[in-house]
This record gives sequence, C-alpha cells and structure tokens, in this order.
Amino acid sequence: MARVQLSQIHKKFDKVQVIKGVDIDIASGEFAVFVGPSGCGKSTLLRMIAGLDSPTAGEIVIAERVVNQLPPKERGISMVFQSYALYPHMTVGQNMAFGLKIAGTAKSSIAEKVAAASKILGLDTLLDRLPRQLSGGQRQRVAMGRAMVRNPQVFLFDEPLSNLDAKLRVQMRAEIRALHQRLGTTSIYVTHDQIEAMTMADRIIVLRDGLVEQVGTPVELYDRPVNTFVATFIGSPSMNLLPATMAADGRSVTLDGGASLRLKQALPTMGLRKVVLGVRPEHLHLASDSAAALPVVAQLAEFTGADTQLHCTLHGTQLQAVLRERIGVAAGDSLALTPEQFHLFDAASQQRIETAIC
Amino acid sequence: MIDRPRTVVQRWLDRSVLALGVLLFVSPAVSVFLWMLSLAFKNEVDNLAYPPVFIPTAPTLANFASVFRENNFLLYFWNSIIVTGVSTAVALLIGVPAGYGIARLKAKKLLLVILIARMTPAISFLIPLFTLFQALGLTGSITPVVITHLVITVPIIVYVVSGYFETLPPELEDAALVDGCSLWQRFRYVALPLARPGITVAAILAFIFSWNNFIFGAVLAGRTTRTLPVAVYNVLTFEQVAWGPLAAAALLVTLPVLVLTMLVQKEIVGGLTAGGVKGG
Repeated sequence: MARVQLSQIHKKFDKVQVIKGVDIDIASGEFAVFVGPSGCGKSTLLRMIAGLDSPTAGEIVIAERVVNQLPPKERGISMVFQSYALYPHMTVGQNMAFGLKIAGTAKSSIAEKVAAASKILGLDTLLDRLPRQLSGGQRQRVAMGRAMVRNPQVFLFDEPLSNLDAKLRVQMRAEIRALHQRLGTTSIYVTHDQIEAMTMADRIIVLRDGLVEQVGTPVELYDRPVNTFVATFIGSPSMNLLPATMAADGRSVTLDGGASLRLKQALPTMGLRKVVLGVRPEHLHLASDSAAALPVVAQLAEFTGADTQLHCTLHGTQLQAVLRERIGVAAGDSLALTPEQFHLFDAASQQRIETAIC
Repeated sequence: MIDRPRTVVQRWLDRSVLALGVLLFVSPAVSVFLWMLSLAFKNEVDNLAYPPVFIPTAPTLANFASVFRENNFLLYFWNSIIVTGVSTAVALLIGVPAGYGIARLKAKKLLLVILIARMTPAISFLIPLFTLFQALGLTGSITPVVITHLVITVPIIVYVVSGYFETLPPELEDAALVDGCSLWQRFRYVALPLARPGITVAAILAFIFSWNNFIFGAVLAGRTTRTLPVAVYNVLTFEQVAWGPLAAAALLVTLPVLVLTMLVQKEIVGGLTAGGVKGG
C-alpha cells in the first residue's frame, strides 16, 4: 500500500506539450480514477507512473520514494492493460507466473501465489489454457491475476474494460471494486467512461488537454462541478447548459428567451452578468405551478421503463429532461418544467459561480 | 464491382480466362524445367534426336549415375551444405537480434544500409575480397566462401525478421517490462517465441538464395571446395556438352531448393493466418 504523488508533471512529445503541469496526490489504499475525453493525457500519466514513459519535467513519488529514474520493476507497481497484453504463447498459469519467474522467486512459492490468485479470480480450472481459448472476461481476469500475484504497492489499470461488451463491463466493474475492497491496494484506474469513474472511484481526477480540471469524490463532482466541462462530462445524460443573464438586483436569472428563475440567495455583485445556467436532466420536474416554470415544447419522449427521457426545446435551445412520471406526450406538445436545483457558471470563464446551490 | 450473382457459365468463363493467363505467364519457366526433367531421364540418342523427343523412349537413370561417378558430386553437395548451412546459421545468430533492435528502435536508415550491401553487384567487391583472402592465405579453402555468403544471408534475415518484429504488439513488451524483464529477457521470452514463423521464413529464404549462388563459389573456391552450382557449370566446360548428365546434375542441385520453396509457401500462409499474435 502506498501513497502516489505527482508534482508538476510536464510531458512533451517532439514539439507537442501533452501534459502541461499536473499535481495529483493519491492517498494510500485509495481507488483513484483518471477520467477525461480521448487525448486528455490520462494514459500518458499512467504510463509515466508505471515507468513506461518518463516525464519531461516533474517528480513522481511512490511510497515516499522518488521513482523517476527507476525502471517499472523497481517501482512496486503492476499494470492491467486495455488489450490485456497476455503472452499468447504462454498458458494462463505461465502468464501469471512470468513476473515471479523473472524475479527469481522459488518455484514452490510461485505455484502457491498463482494458485491463490487464480482461486480469487475463478481461474483455477483454466490454468492450462492459452489466451486465445478464453473469452474476453476470462482474459481480463488473467490480466488482473498476473498483476495481483506480484503483490504490488500500486495497481494501475489502463481502460481495462473498454474491449468488453456492456453487460460484462458492469459485472467486471463490480469485481474490480470487490477486489480492491478485499486487497486494499492503492489503485489508479484510467477510463474515458464517466459511469465507470462515478461507480468505482473513491476520488475522481478529471483531466482535459493535459491539465487537471477537478479532483473530488463522485458526490463532489456531481454536486459542485467546478466548470462547465466537468458539469457536462460527469452525469449521464449530460447537464443542460442554457445561456442567461443575471438580473440587476442579483435575485434572479433571466434565460435568453424570457423565462426567469429566482435564486435562493441573492448575488447583488453579479448584476447583469452573462451566465450559463446548468440544470441536470434528472433535476427537471413537471411544474405544479407555472410561476417558476420553464415553458418547453416536446420533441421526443423515450420511455426506458424506469423513467421517461424527454427531448424538448426551450425558446429554441435543446433541453433534455429525465422524468419519473409517465406522461403521454406527443411531438409539439407544450409543457412546463421546473428545476429542483441548478448551477450557475460565468459565461466568459465557464467557471462555477460559488453560491449556495440554487 | 457490383455483386451480382454470377451464372454457372460466367463463372466457368472467369476461371478459364484466369487459367489461360496463368498458363501464359508460367509456361516459359515451367516448360524449361520440364525439358530439363525430360533431358535427365533420356539417353544420349534421344537427347540429340531431331525432331526433339519429349517423352523418353527408354527412360534411364544412367545420367544420374554418370554424374556421381565422373564428378565428386557428393563432395560438392557437402560443400554446399557447409557453406549454406553455416552462413545461414551465423546470419540467424547475428540477424535476428539485429532485426529486433532495428524494429524496436525504428532504425529505418540502418536497414537501408544493410539492404544496399545486399543490392550492390557482387562483382564490385569480389576483386578486393579476393585480394584480401589471398593475403590471408585463405583462397581455395571453404572459409572465404562461407564469409562472403553472409552478404547474401544476413540482409535477408535482418529485413524479413525486423518486419515481423514490427508486427508484434508493443503492449506485450510493455507488459514484459512491467513484469520485470530486461531487454534480453524481453527478446528471449516474449519477442523470439512469437517471431518464430517470421524467422523460419527468413531462414528458408536465406538458405535458398545462398544455395543457388554461383559467383562467390566460382571466384573464391578451389577445386575441392566448390559448391554445387559451380560444379554444374564445370560439368559444362571441362567435358563435352553431355546434355543428359548436365540436366541430371542441374536437377539434383535444384531439388533441395524446390522442396524448401514448397515449404516456404506453407510457412508464409501459416504465419499470416495463425492469428495467435493479437496481444492475447
């Protein structure tokens, strides 16, 4: 178990600055998830922690040791790759034993560790099979087993579930989480899927274009996104963003189009500022009174069983709502929706306007 | 092309045209080979007959017997085995790790230099080489032949093997690195076993080209150290043009390579369709 610290990490590939100054502190035993869109640098960061790449500047500390100059085997890490990277010419047992064999571990000890890991992962009947004879989920488990047997201080996962189908992904998510709870090893997990991040992480690090946008627990990121990028990235369906203007007295917000919403707490210093109003689809409800309501025109209602996903327009702007109520709605119908809570972001900087949640 | 279902007649027509095309391209080479086959099994009367006789009236093995009797054919065969075998083996020893290094370091320019050495006409460096070997007192022995054959075998192996190593997923070596492997361990335990099909093809190709080589043996070898292609040539010059024994000798030289070529076909197809190298 080890603490992982990244200080002022920069990474340049030829002339392209990929990582632009990243500071991250991961506590011992924590399950941290790096999440962000493709190209944000999350896999690059993971590779640098593993020792497969080296940073152009900055320090990487694992278990209070600076590891910048150390090869992967001396960092106390194990990695699970996106494409599993199992050795195709070795059996499951040989794959799992390989790292221990290279380290010169005694044969009896190797057999013991492989047996223990394969038991936990349900691989004990598959030890003599070759990777090409296994299903995707089984291969993923072998990859995890190979990482586990070396008893690392830090587990690194590089989008391990991307190659699996949806149902298997849900199952493996739970298995990885259960494994973490059982072993308690510090884990760093990279994914582009915000649902994986939300369901698995102790803390999420949201990255964009080589910079950290926000670090926090899933609840913090969901309730208080620090800018519009994080706001729309976390949560599915994405948060609705509506352009608006603060009223002169700072007591209400007027959407472009006329509808106006009262704030719970007045912000007189922000008068007449251009803002972005963010409201999550699941926080929109059918209005009981039309006073504080948004008049929308329905376009499409998708019934998922548990709820209804309503696509509509508010004064020409697209809006999506997730309603618990079952409503019979046809395209073109007019409805009134009211937000249970909403967020305000500065239109110029896209940053959150700190205020009690409205 | 529109995927309209072809009628039986159209398909038959397609195949006939294809067969005709293949026949046109292949027939010159095949007919020469078939004629050589015919010459080897005919007696001298048939061989000199006009109009030419294709099927032997009295098939005979006398030509083969004469080849073995009048020349030290087995010695030349053994020389070829030594020269080609040793140069291929040494080329594998140097060339496979070199191919790995070139693939991993993406050293395209170095590969080009090696290929240029191969493509340079042999004549241009044979004379300096001959002088060099003469100064070392090696002319006439089999050593210079083996050494110069490395010019044939090493580039082939490096080129084919480096191309093959490039197709191995780099994530496998990342995994090996994380598992604690040094460069040599990565090469030995991960890259090498997976490159076996490529190495086999490379070795067979190197063998074929080295076996067929005439010029190095002709210039650098002595009477007892010449290789098979040179020996066949000498059958032509030192004795009267005995077509039967000549054809028989040529056939004997071609046979091992012919068999290997057929093997290469299988290996190439096998290497391409194995699909085992998909990163697990």
